[in-house]
Amino acid sequence: MAGLSIEGARKSFGETEVLKGVSIEVADGEFTVIVGPSGCGKSTLLRSVAGLEELTGGRILIGERDVTDLAPSARGIAMVFQSYALYPHLTVYENMAFGLRIAKADKSEIARQVQRAAEILNIESLLGRKPAALSGGQRQRVAIGRAIVRQPEIFLFDEPLSNLDADLRVRMRYEFAALHRTLGTTTLYVTHDQVEAMTLADRIIVLRDGQIEQVGTPRELYERPANIFVAQFLGTPRMNIVPVTVSGAGQATFSDGRIVALPPHAEALSTGTRLSVGIRPEDIAIGAASDALPHRIGFIERLGGLATIHLHGAAGDEPLACQLRDDGSLREGDVVPVLLPADRLHLFDAEGRALHGEARE
Amino acid sequence: MSVRRWSVTLLAAFVTLLTVAPLLWMVSVSFMAPGEAAQFPPPLLPETPSLENYRTLFGTFGIGRFLANSLLVSTLATGLALLFTIPAGYAFAKLRFKGRDATFRLLVAALVVPGQIGMLPLFLELKAMGLVNSYAGALIPWLAGIFGIFLVRQYCLSIPDEMLEAARIDGASEGQILRRVVLPILTPIIVTLALFVFLGSWNDFMWPLIVLADQDLYTLPVALAAMSREHVQDNELMMAGAVVTTLPVLILFLALQRFYLSGLLTGSVKG
Repeated sequence: MAGLSIEGARKSFGETEVLKGVSIEVADGEFTVIVGPSGCGKSTLLRSVAGLEELTGGRILIGERDVTDLAPSARGIAMVFQSYALYPHLTVYENMAFGLRIAKADKSEIARQVQRAAEILNIESLLGRKPAALSGGQRQRVAIGRAIVRQPEIFLFDEPLSNLDADLRVRMRYEFAALHRTLGTTTLYVTHDQVEAMTLADRIIVLRDGQIEQVGTPRELYERPANIFVAQFLGTPRMNIVPVTVSGAGQATFSDGRIVALPPHAEALSTGTRLSVGIRPEDIAIGAASDALPHRIGFIERLGGLATIHLHGAAGDEPLACQLRDDGSLREGDVVPVLLPADRLHLFDAEGRALHGEARE
Repeated sequence: MSVRRWSVTLLAAFVTLLTVAPLLWMVSVSFMAPGEAAQFPPPLLPETPSLENYRTLFGTFGIGRFLANSLLVSTLATGLALLFTIPAGYAFAKLRFKGRDATFRLLVAALVVPGQIGMLPLFLELKAMGLVNSYAGALIPWLAGIFGIFLVRQYCLSIPDEMLEAARIDGASEGQILRRVVLPILTPIIVTLALFVFLGSWNDFMWPLIVLADQDLYTLPVALAAMSREHVQDNELMMAGAVVTTLPVLILFLALQRFYLSGLLTGSVKG
């Protein structure tokens, strides 16, 4: 096993620059998830690590080895594709053994490796079947099995769960986490699904337009997003962002003149500074208090245990999304007092960069 | 069964009969005595079936030699066509190289030019190369048919790139990917293409006639045509010759029909 370093990776397709100097360090044994919207370059980055795309600039190191110019098979990586990419004419066993057979490994060694991987993934009973006779989840396991058999230094996953139904996705997520605990192999995992990123990652890398927006643990990114993009990308419903103007020590004014208290680290901001305040839907409270702001309930999405409530108020045109335990007492059209707790507010400057205070708990 | 289904079945039976009848009569006539088929009305079945025509064909005319010639030429043509067409079609579909699409467009544009137009220049070219009156000359037009390349390419396009990339990561060379991943997937289309080429070269009359001067080198259709010039009146003998020409490819076609159909249907049925 080994760590992975990507140093200033650049990649252009014709005139379009897809990666604009991306540098990443993945520690040995770490599960790192690259997350970002479609077209942000995350798959290109992963494919570059695999050797399926040639970088226009920069280096890739696996352990101490510079693999930038090596063929995919010589890099010590294994990749699991979104479409599984199993060989349809080969049995599960042959699919998993393919790489070792190409490498002319000893027959008994091949059998041992395939058996081991099959046991880990609980697919021993499927070894004689062809991919067409497998369910989506089983195919996914075989694809992972094929990767395990290669005994790679680094696992690469390219949106491996996006072809599965919701139920299976949750189960496979759990299995990925368990598998990583068992094998402890350095893993680079690409997804556009922030839930996968939050649940699986030791560290998340948020990518946008070929550049890194932020790197950190899921908790760090959720609690202390570096900018509005990261803040809104992680978490559903996404973080509410409202423009305000600082109107005095520790307070700001919405566009309609109503006042909100700011967290302590905003004390230093001079009056007149334009800001954006962000608040996560679960941090908004509904209840009477002296500083509560009345909002009208525009729409309630009832999810069973939880409800997402869209609040139309004085605070700009965008409704605030608020997530609560649903006791069925709220009705659309009600006017309710809304609390935006100062210690739960995120502040962003005019460019959308976070203004952080002390780390919150 | 409803009236509708009955009428469809009857119609199908009628069309089948219409198609098969000449073939069956060809077989029947080949067993008739000289002149018997020329009677009016022509008889459906031979009065006293005999193998005389076949004896003459294989004995006097030595049609066995031409049969062997045809088998050799068609087999070689098929083998060579597959050898060149499959890698070409695969490359046009899946490998990245400069000028790939432009070259392919040029090839497809050439499809609209009738083959006959190329015959004279090709003949002159082969003459300059000293290949006239040899099987090499007879085989050259079959080496890489544009239609075959097109067929293979279209089918290869349906193979996901990720599968080839997985093989690359597994350490397979481009040759190994073609042999061990692509070829097995291409089986239906390879059978279809092989049938096309085999049938095409087996039935080809014009090009062997042009390029083969030596009678010993004649393929079946050319030999049969030469024979028919001498034996215009011998319908029964000619029919026996036609049976010898048709039967091998008919058997081949029926044997491979299953693959052939799945090959033709792949484009539309495969997801």
